[in-house]
Amino acid sequence: MNQEIVVSRLDPTTWPLSFKVPLLVAVLMFAVSAVVSNRVLSRLEDSQEQNLQQLASAYLDGLSASLIPSVSRADVWEVFDTLDRSRERYKGLNIRWTIVTNIEGKILAASDPANYPSDTAAEKTTLAHFADSKEVTLDAGNATAFLMRPLSYQDREIGKIYAEADIGSLLQERRDVFRTLLVTNLLLTLLLATVGYLAIRRMIRPVRIMSFHLDQASQGKIELIPEGVVTRQSSEFRRLFSRYNILSQAVNEREFLSVQLAEEEKVASLGRLASGMAHEINNPLGGMFNALDALKKHGTREQVRVTSIRLLEHGLMGIRDLVRSTLASYRADQRPRDLTMADLDDLRLLVKPEAKRMGLKLEWKNEIAEAVHVPAVPVRDAVLNLLLNACASSAENGSVKFHARVESGALVVDVTDQGGGLPAHVREYLERDGAGSVPLDKRSGLGLWIVKRLCDEINGKLIVVKSSASGTIIRLKVQPKPLELRNAA
Amino acid sequence: MKKGGFQRSSTKRASRRRVIAFGAGAIAFISSFGGSGAHAEPPLIFGLTPVFLTNDLELLTKLKAYLSRKTDREVQLVQRRTYEEITALLLSGQLDGAWICGYPFAQFRQQLSLIAVPVWRGKPLYQSYLIAPKGRPVTGIDDLKGDIHAFSDPNSNSGYLVTASLLAERKLRPDQFFRKVIFTYGHRNVVRAVASGLAQSGSVDGYVWEVMSSIEPELTAKTEIVSVSELLGFPPIACLKTQRLSEGVELLHQALIEMAQDNDGKHVLNMLRLDGFADEPETLFDSIAAKMMLVRGLGS
Repeated sequence: MNQEIVVSRLDPTTWPLSFKVPLLVAVLMFAVSAVVSNRVLSRLEDSQEQNLQQLASAYLDGLSASLIPSVSRADVWEVFDTLDRSRERYKGLNIRWTIVTNIEGKILAASDPANYPSDTAAEKTTLAHFADSKEVTLDAGNATAFLMRPLSYQDREIGKIYAEADIGSLLQERRDVFRTLLVTNLLLTLLLATVGYLAIRRMIRPVRIMSFHLDQASQGKIELIPEGVVTRQSSEFRRLFSRYNILSQAVNEREFLSVQLAEEEKVASLGRLASGMAHEINNPLGGMFNALDALKKHGTREQVRVTSIRLLEHGLMGIRDLVRSTLASYRADQRPRDLTMADLDDLRLLVKPEAKRMGLKLEWKNEIAEAVHVPAVPVRDAVLNLLLNACASSAENGSVKFHARVESGALVVDVTDQGGGLPAHVREYLERDGAGSVPLDKRSGLGLWIVKRLCDEINGKLIVVKSSASGTIIRLKVQPKPLELRNAA
Repeated sequence: MKKGGFQRSSTKRASRRRVIAFGAGAIAFISSFGGSGAHAEPPLIFGLTPVFLTNDLELLTKLKAYLSRKTDREVQLVQRRTYEEITALLLSGQLDGAWICGYPFAQFRQQLSLIAVPVWRGKPLYQSYLIAPKGRPVTGIDDLKGDIHAFSDPNSNSGYLVTASLLAERKLRPDQFFRKVIFTYGHRNVVRAVASGLAQSGSVDGYVWEVMSSIEPELTAKTEIVSVSELLGFPPIACLKTQRLSEGVELLHQALIEMAQDNDGKHVLNMLRLDGFADEPETLFDSIAAKMMLVRGLGS
């Protein structure tokens, strides 16, 4: 579970927009600044190398012009003197040392004779850094430039100049520029990211408002966005909010109509019940009138009198039971009271006529021994509607089963039909908490919506235990109310 | 070593010859140090080898100003890179006088006369030093065998002849004793060559080394004296023997001899770290002549 949460937090698609957009701005800024910095450094590097090439050429030009006569005479002192004096003239190049060799590769003189003695062969390791074809060879790793120029006199090479220059200051300048770019870009990026974050937060505020209202709506409270808030938005969101408000009004009206429909359905159900009851009363009434006729005609006969009175009594008892249960179900006094076994058994009388009309067999199993601390009226209504729905769903000559019991203190009622099973969306609707705030859909009857609403009212649970082509078992489970609440009630 | 010489051009012929020489375009190789041009008499031409001091120009300006004032003649100072060039100019009569070295004076003693000899530390004498980089464990010339050795000038007494004669005593020429010899054409350059490590040893004018040690101690501190020669005649101011009695040379002589008594002259002497100039006999340079003979005897 925790791992799932972590994974979800790491998934960028789940990050809030107010974080993602500034982050994207920052990343883009970093990318842009990296490209710009790279270009600047590249240009600086080119410019420095060009400058170094020019300086090196000027140095070698000046030096070779002065050195050629001395080298052609192999004048050690003049060569040294020229090198020594040139050190002052080319300070910008930061020459570490310069060697002048003759045509045999022997050192004529060096600016640092202690390390490069005259009249000795120039060491190969020293000359290894100098490329024959290039006047300037760079070794950025060691902050060194190697300068080389052949000395020619009358079209003949008479020697070479080798020089090593310290380019640490150039590299330092490059590093300084890089550091400045880095810090500047970092600060700019942070600034822009912050501005982006605040701007995006402000820009998506209408989205948050819309999100809040949609959340509210999903919990059943569809509220309109206040007109003041709507008028403050930009044109796009003003339009969106207005349309949302129109939609909300339409939904509210639809719900109102749904409630009205439910009431009408209730009345229709009542009509069906009344019709059933009339039928139930009519049957004994026929017998009772026959008994009455028999009494009138043959009341003197003991046998006829006794039988007629028994028939009348049975008929009247049946009518009394029916009236009593109807009164119990629909009496005006709706004060909360605990559910008893009789409350559920009364339903049998109410459903029986409908089952009979549909040619269904009603199997009744009520295991409620004593009162259960759940509200009797809404539970009875919910179960009645479940039973009526089961009757409507079951095929002719099928059966509808009722089984009520108490499990772990909770009331459990299973209603089984032999219909064709519940569609998936209906099943999901019944089992989803809070779904009763809105009707199911156009295709489904209002019965299940009423069941769901009642169930939500009493914090009950509807569980579709089975749903197949051979039938459906819907279970209503209602936890008893907490003690405090019961006392308060 | 410096050389110098004031040529006394008393004879009109000599003077005329000199004027013609310059009039013919010799000006091109004579350094001009801005004479007033107001003097009626022909200018005095005074030759100098490269001076050792760093502020050469100031010294030359002051020397020229002093000599001009003192002789009441326009004075032109002529500098050349080598002793040989100055000596050639002097011998060819193109200079009234020149500050040359004792070695050329000994070489051309028949043609040259002394005008005056500088006095340093109370004597008209100086020494030649053999120097090596500081800290090098050497005690004499024999330890310098196989070095790259820096000489000042092949016509310098202290910067070549003294060392060559030491080797001649061992029947050796410098190119046989040393691995390589280099000529720097300046005593200061000898010190630079040794101090930098270009040369492992050098022969230098002792007077120049001592003066440098007070003016540029950081440079001489990188060197140390290996051995010191005997006292020898200080590089003199000389002229052609034929012109010794000329008016111009005599004016130069007077100006040099009286330099120590003149304020401007004293200033010039202070810059040169000299006591003054004196009349000295030519025998002062006999010891140099002897060394020359020794070296010539070996064929170097």
